[in-house]
Amino acid sequence: MRLTELLGAEVVDQAGRPAGRVHDVRLVQDGPLPAGGFGASLRLDGLIVGRRAVGARLGYDRSRMRGPLPVKLLFGWVRHDGRYVTWDRVERLEDGRVLISGSADDLPVPEPSS
Amino acid sequence: MAGRTMDAGLHLLDRQLVDCDGRLAGKVDDLELELPEGGGPPTVTAILAGPGALSRRIGGRFGAWLEAVANRLREGDDRKPARVSFGVVKRVGSAIELSVPRADLETNRLEAWTRDHLIGKLPGAGDAPD
Repeated sequence: MRLTELLGAEVVDQAGRPAGRVHDVRLVQDGPLPAGGFGASLRLDGLIVGRRAVGARLGYDRSRMRGPLPVKLLFGWVRHDGRYVTWDRVERLEDGRVLISGSADDLPVPEPSS
Repeated sequence: MAGRTMDAGLHLLDRQLVDCDGRLAGKVDDLELELPEGGGPPTVTAILAGPGALSRRIGGRFGAWLEAVANRLREGDDRKPARVSFGVVKRVGSAIELSVPRADLETNRLEAWTRDHLIGKLPGAGDAPD
């Protein structure tokens, strides 16, 4: 599977309701140690879904971002539209679609990236 | 979450690859993810780079054309994009630092093909100093 197969895919909940599109994929470096590698491998933790792509791609949603205040407030507000889908909720991947368990209403807001 | 957290699109895609000698070795155009046999979340197994990987992101007719050109510039029937195992990634920062020289990487294929098939056939090419 390729990362670009996930980016842009539409996320659909159990009832068939759309939850948005995948804008980024969150990775955590705590996977198994690769042979001859440097540190733990990157494990896919979840999918960032919603309309927050612009601010996130510019780095304005990082936890270390402290200002300017109007920019911080703007992108903080945009982030509330985003949703986070942990990988354990992914039921199936179809062509251009990600089917998840449960309801889209239960999805939390993503944590700022580091 | 215990380990370092990063967003693939923000922290990895389009980043520069730098080999163990500090030389540029391509860019991150896509990532290869592998689902473990016993279940569980996928892990990143490789960086995909070069026109063969980039063409999927571009999509459309231009993407298809780019992929066809990349395939023509390859030896044999291998239709896969250049792959850099994530095991050789030493550090992820503003650039992706690798532990191997770029001559050992598949991302060097286009340069090697150009050297062997075009530059090397020019009159006087053999006179160039190493």
